[in-house]
Amino acid sequence: MTVSDKPTMIEFRDVQKYYGDYHALRGINATIKAGEFFSLLGPSGCGKTTLLRTIAGFEDISSGAVLIDGKDAAQIPPNKRPTNMVFQSYAIFPHLTVEQNVGFGLRRENLSKDEMGRRVGEALEMVGLKGFGKRAAHALSGGQRQRVALARALILKPKVLLLDEPLSALDKKLRENMQVELIKLQRQVGITFILVTHDQEEALVMSDRIAVMFEGQIAQLDDPETLYRRPKSRQVADFIGTMNFLPATAHPTSDGGFDVDVAGLGQCHIPADQAPGAATGNGVNVGFRPETLTILYEGQQPTDRETPGTVEEVVYYGDMTYYDVKLDGVAEPVRLSMRNVPGRPVLDIGTRTRVAWSPSALVLFR
Amino acid sequence: MKFPALKTYAIVYLIFLYAPIVLLPLFAFNNSKVIAFPLSGFTTEWFQMMWNDTQLFKAVKNSLIIAVSSSVLSTCLGVFAARASTRFNFPGKGSILGLIMLPMVLPEMIVAMSLLVVLLTIGMPLSILTIIMGHLLICTPFAVAILSSAFQSLDRSLEEAAYDLGETPASTFRLIVLPLVMPGIISSLLICFTISLDEFIIAYFLGGNQTVLSVYIYGQFRFPARVPAIMALGTVLVCLSICLLSIAEFYRRRGIARTGAKDTGGFL
Repeated sequence: MTVSDKPTMIEFRDVQKYYGDYHALRGINATIKAGEFFSLLGPSGCGKTTLLRTIAGFEDISSGAVLIDGKDAAQIPPNKRPTNMVFQSYAIFPHLTVEQNVGFGLRRENLSKDEMGRRVGEALEMVGLKGFGKRAAHALSGGQRQRVALARALILKPKVLLLDEPLSALDKKLRENMQVELIKLQRQVGITFILVTHDQEEALVMSDRIAVMFEGQIAQLDDPETLYRRPKSRQVADFIGTMNFLPATAHPTSDGGFDVDVAGLGQCHIPADQAPGAATGNGVNVGFRPETLTILYEGQQPTDRETPGTVEEVVYYGDMTYYDVKLDGVAEPVRLSMRNVPGRPVLDIGTRTRVAWSPSALVLFR
Repeated sequence: MKFPALKTYAIVYLIFLYAPIVLLPLFAFNNSKVIAFPLSGFTTEWFQMMWNDTQLFKAVKNSLIIAVSSSVLSTCLGVFAARASTRFNFPGKGSILGLIMLPMVLPEMIVAMSLLVVLLTIGMPLSILTIIMGHLLICTPFAVAILSSAFQSLDRSLEEAAYDLGETPASTFRLIVLPLVMPGIISSLLICFTISLDEFIIAYFLGGNQTVLSVYIYGQFRFPARVPAIMALGTVLVCLSICLLSIAEFYRRRGIARTGAKDTGGFL
């Protein structure tokens, strides 16, 4: 069963939110499926955290509706909602032990001491903190706090787990480890995870689907691959990874695609599915990712097309090298990336070179 | 030390500050009715005299009732005001807080006089109760100031987390907010208790025929024969103050150690 066959868990119906005159959420429409790992991605101030908090019940909405598992959430106070949250600051209760923190949500269930201990132990084991129960919460490291916050939120077996930038306070290595652990955990418990993040890489790595938000609106909602390969606007393309843009002219063809003339690359045909933000005429743009261009070394033949250029800048990353190449006839250099493999020397600045490309990697923008 | 002048200044300053307090026990145990050097011998007669003074006991009792009541009441009011000012936005918030804090800088004489006029006008008899009301007025600003900083340092998401985990707003306050602001509450109780205990003007103006400790001590200085007993009383008060401060500081530090917060020095 794929995610799209599953029942709807969260539904936003034209959600609007004003703070005084400030229009924070401008008509959000989206559905999130049960068991999905869903991310809200966007720059700070785009409304992603506000949207997450409307699910938890910490923000009222000005109009529209948020439905949780088919029920209008407006009628349910935060403490009765089938959602639990992992806060950006983790919000670990500093005056309680790890055990008391994790078991906090069970207080209302009137469990026996043994049952309580068993459930807390299970939750701690799930996040890899077995044996930490008696420790004082304030004495934990950042990564451990995060795990405590996770265990505390998951112990109530919510239908939806809300994560508000849970990894932003961790260092890079730990963050990457936690990303993988979170994915595993989500598969294991099968709960809907909704993640707020401003880190595009994090969203791409972890999510089943991503909603990219700008200024209180969802700019594009797609799976990571579509989002990366077929961004609908320059704004989305720019926010997710690096994208080169070249000016072009486009003429529609009978098959719904476009015949384009791209500066520096020449003429080619772009099919309809590569033109999500379709536009015709002069002054349109063609975008492509750095890894879709390849430098041709001596004797190599392109699989599709090639165009000449000059290396302007070289940035060496160890496993990769980034080149800024000025294509003949274009003012701005384009960035391309090459894996560093044996027998493929790093080029010097000023080298004349040939660049291989393919129309299938191009995206047409307004 | 590089600057002998600064060092001398610091020492002189400390002597000026604490020498009079050191003199209290010295004369309290001195076998002479005259408060002067040289000391003439050891006696506990003045403590005996103090112990047998029923007037004094009455004044102490009054003072304790007033100090405990006004510190508890003003701390309660302080909790409400601090909570409101740090958590909510409402019209006129700034001016309301300003008006609450005003008695802190208002000359006490003015407060005492105007209260006296009002009380006499409405015909309310002067008693311990009227003193408590006056002290409440001057203690509350201190309580609000201390508690505001305690509430300010509270991470809002802690409350949201408790709410999110099924607690009601009331139980969240009891389980999360109250324990975390406890060091502030202790500081506030202590400061208000001290302010009320040694307050003179309001107690003198609004006390009617009820005498409190500060007024009683002032009155006793008219009788030279009783001054050594006052010294004995002073000695007891100094010891009690040190004990009280130590206990409060112990609890404050324990509270901070428990939550792993940074020690910002507290009220001392």
